[in-house]
Amino acid sequence: MNAFAYLQEVLTEKYDIKPEAIRPEATLEALGLDSLSVAELLFDVGDKFGIDVPDDRTDFKTLGEAAAIVDELIQAKRS
Amino acid sequence: MAGGRRRVFVSGLGLVSPHGSDPAAMFERLYAGESAIRKVRSGSAEFGNDVLMAQSELDPAGMIPKSQLFTMDRVSQMAVVAAYRALATAGLLADDRGPADAGIYMGCGLGGAQAIQDAYSTYYQRRSRKVKPTSVPLIMTNAPAAHISMRYGVLGPSLTYSIACASSAIAIGEAFRAVRDGYLDRALAGGTEAMLNDGSIVAWESLSVLAKEHPDGPAASSRPFAADRSGFVLGEGAAVLVLESEEALRRHDAQPLAEILGYGASSDAHNLTQPALGGQVRAMRSALADAAIEPAAIGYINAHATATPVGDKVEINAVKETFGAHAQRLAISATKSMHGHLVGAAGALELAITVLALQQRRLPPTANLTVPDPACDLDCVPCRGREAPGLEYALSNSFAFGGSNAALIVRRA
Repeated sequence: MNAFAYLQEVLTEKYDIKPEAIRPEATLEALGLDSLSVAELLFDVGDKFGIDVPDDRTDFKTLGEAAAIVDELIQAKRS
Repeated sequence: MAGGRRRVFVSGLGLVSPHGSDPAAMFERLYAGESAIRKVRSGSAEFGNDVLMAQSELDPAGMIPKSQLFTMDRVSQMAVVAAYRALATAGLLADDRGPADAGIYMGCGLGGAQAIQDAYSTYYQRRSRKVKPTSVPLIMTNAPAAHISMRYGVLGPSLTYSIACASSAIAIGEAFRAVRDGYLDRALAGGTEAMLNDGSIVAWESLSVLAKEHPDGPAASSRPFAADRSGFVLGEGAAVLVLESEEALRRHDAQPLAEILGYGASSDAHNLTQPALGGQVRAMRSALADAAIEPAAIGYINAHATATPVGDKVEINAVKETFGAHAQRLAISATKSMHGHLVGAAGALELAITVLALQQRRLPPTANLTVPDPACDLDCVPCRGREAPGLEYALSNSFAFGGSNAALIVRRA
């Protein structure tokens, strides 16, 4: 599972966001996620993929940007 | 608001209790002497235990948005659901909003017990410093009150009283004073507790205060006032009452369920876990003075009685000292025999039961009281509920570890 697919799953299941709203260009703010929700989301992502999203990589605005950073960290962990 | 004491009424009642969420149905089950205590496997396969407990069913659907559930420990979810039901029965819920002018007074002993366990499990078992970012807001003891405020748009003070087993009795007492003395027109007052997770249970087990399973079965294991009592059974749940001034009640044409008349609180200054007669007597006398009624007016006491060998006897003696000859005429029952000990929610649930007893003029029994302790020789309403024609005033006791005592007096509306 890639990062975006997992984000889709969590945002639908846990945050109750409509699937059609979960697009790469959607900002987390527009999806109604406050800072605590974003922190929890990153925790879940880290838990799922066994990675740690460092504080200096959390300047993303959109879901696509967040997914790209997570994919990159997953790759870095594998190599 | 100008001085003078105002009358304070209970206008709404919301429950998440071991006997369900409907107050009338809960009371019927209690009246029939039905225990909600079960034996449940708790903890890991490696070192778990079969534990006696009184669990509550929690279904937040329709009352808490799904997207908010991860921000609330079970203790907060139960409080928000109980508050919903309390506001709905008071007729104070419109378009999912509650009364903006109310205050919130909640009792809670431990806070987010499951979240505490989860965080420590991550730290110790997974050997990771990465615990959930929601850990602190899930754990904090004031989270239930905060969530009630946010969920229903309540703008008055949202306060949390953490006084172990007396938490919610004191929360209700303080709310009563705030409304009576004109600081607020209405308040949501009650308590919540959810510590039936194994990490909490082992701490209680170590204290050697929990009941042993009775030969008649798990449901018969909480036996206040009985010769063979062996301790208490933990329960979980939430109870929230809506308190309103007479004027506030009239403004929305609501029917009062009961009137709160008096509140007394005291400290033993004695021992962390052992109760003291003097402190309990002072709490009850203070409540009677506050209510400005004669001791002989009280027809029913919902006892704190947790079924520990020491505690029940002290309370009986405190009632004898407070009420004198009238102690032999009043009825006193311990409903913890059926719903267990809800700790921070105990006082609120028991006051709710007391309100229902006054309304229906029927007394819930002390279940399992087949062979009374000779030292508990008052009318403890053994085993079967009983009609109480003419019942006007009742008192509910709550005594906490740490030696904090509270008594509340209610009148039939």
